[in-house]
Amino acid sequence: MRILLIIFLFLVSCEKLEEVFVEEDLLQRPQAKRCADCHAQIYEEWKESRHYRAWKSENFRRESENYGKVKCLSCHAPHQVDPEKKPVLRAEFREDGVHCVACHFKEETRSMHGPLKVWSPPHPSTQDLDYTKSEFCAGCHRETYKEWKLAKVRKSCQDCHMPSLGKKDLIQKFPFYLFHLAKRRTSHRFPAQKAKPEDIEVHLKGKELILVNVGVPHNLPTADQGDPKLYLIAQILYGDGKKRTLRKLLSPQSKTALQYRVPYHLRIPDGDVKEVRVKIMRKFAWSDEKETLKELTLRTPSP
Amino acid sequence: MRYRALITALAVIAGVSFSAEKVILKKPPESLKKYYPPASKNYEFISAMHTMSTAFYGINLNINEGNWEGAKRWAQELKKTYLKVSKMVPEWKSYFKPQLADNLVKAVSSKNVDRVIGASKKLGQTCAKCHQDNEIAVKLVYHFPSFETIKIEDPVEFMEYKTGKYMEKLTNSMKALKIYLLQGEGDKAQEAGMNFVERARQLRSMCSKCHTNKLSEEVIVGKEFEKALNDLENLLSGDKPDRDRVFKLLGKVGASCTKCHNVHLIPQVVKEAFEK
Repeated sequence: MRILLIIFLFLVSCEKLEEVFVEEDLLQRPQAKRCADCHAQIYEEWKESRHYRAWKSENFRRESENYGKVKCLSCHAPHQVDPEKKPVLRAEFREDGVHCVACHFKEETRSMHGPLKVWSPPHPSTQDLDYTKSEFCAGCHRETYKEWKLAKVRKSCQDCHMPSLGKKDLIQKFPFYLFHLAKRRTSHRFPAQKAKPEDIEVHLKGKELILVNVGVPHNLPTADQGDPKLYLIAQILYGDGKKRTLRKLLSPQSKTALQYRVPYHLRIPDGDVKEVRVKIMRKFAWSDEKETLKELTLRTPSP
Repeated sequence: MRYRALITALAVIAGVSFSAEKVILKKPPESLKKYYPPASKNYEFISAMHTMSTAFYGINLNINEGNWEGAKRWAQELKKTYLKVSKMVPEWKSYFKPQLADNLVKAVSSKNVDRVIGASKKLGQTCAKCHQDNEIAVKLVYHFPSFETIKIEDPVEFMEYKTGKYMEKLTNSMKALKIYLLQGEGDKAQEAGMNFVERARQLRSMCSKCHTNKLSEEVIVGKEFEKALNDLENLLSGDKPDRDRVFKLLGKVGASCTKCHNVHLIPQVVKEAFEK
């Protein structure tokens, strides 16, 4: 009877127990490094991500005219990220960029939201399946989201840009990690992914060179800003020995990026085309360097 | 009747409008710089102007409603801000007559509409003189966005250029297209024309550096512009492009150039002239 009474009292006190262990400052929108006290691995992954550099990147500082272009700022230091809603600019710790609290803390519930069901005494947690959907990213990555919707694929943004790491501990702080089971976790490096040569098919058909993005389910390249580019250089050799070089710059900003599975046609100037040497180069949004993505030579079949 | 005169006088002063035979463009003084980005993001100078303009209307509004106490508070606010502004830009000190601001407060305190009209006019004339001499230049230099930091990648050379240099390359390729067409050099015209088309297409990437809402981009380099470029490209890819059709399409592309230049070019020319 006494044991039953103890168990009953323990169960009743569980809710209160949570309150005892709550670390109040975690609900006061702390800096990311405070979250690292427990979530050390996730923090280290995030520090390698572009979300970490969203505010302090030299490129952004320059392009935003030293943070003078107000409309750009809120996605680089959001207060709260919600599905399909442009966030407002955060007042504090902007140098943290897109940080833990911006994505996971919701004012409405005063708790940390995420895709997993967890018991976490230091802060209230809410399971929220929005975190597994592309819509979650759409508030900031609006153009890419629209392109992805047109692609009509099952894979979400998270499937590619937050790949699964298998089962891992969510926290590393001793001794608390001993009380938690490992859970399926995804990468917080948010890898940008790089298109592979096979992601772009190139054909020569009649008087046209045709490029198709068959591997990336949004425009290639994509970005609302940042100005990534593909460079297409086609050297055409005609039967009479004449040569022509066509150059195209394919970018989201000039509306010439390769849409998913939509052929891009490049008309070749009239003549007896023998051979077309194609070179596709690229420049990422975060780099000034160009690199070769694909090179090939196409020959017109003999009649 | 007197109230109507007051309303008219104060409304004109609050808006500080002026008419003139000539428009003056004087380089704004160095000391003004510290009230505008990048030195300051608070726009202290223009904020003070807005405060004074509101205060002028506050006097008008309250006297019109018979609220002389309210009018007095706005007159005091106006005087305080006028005195503050008179010290902000030493080069403009001579425009300010602090005694006239004090006279306006006294006129409002006396609850005499004729005195208020007289004092307002005299004070307003000091504002109008400074605006007449400086407002346009200040707006052009400090309120128009700068092209200085904008670079654009040339799709022909794959090199980044500043806007002015890029525009030169764009127009030169268009001129080359015209020249070769008129000289009957088809191959060279085709190549120059293709370069022009690519360079014109790339202009959108320049707009998007500031116009992130896309709508203003559509007005300048929207569907008509794109169609004209596509038609031009198709025409130039043919064996012997029809000269008249090429010229007609260039006219359509040029309409977009004009729209953009009408908005951006003149302010930029003035800004650059002052920066030299």
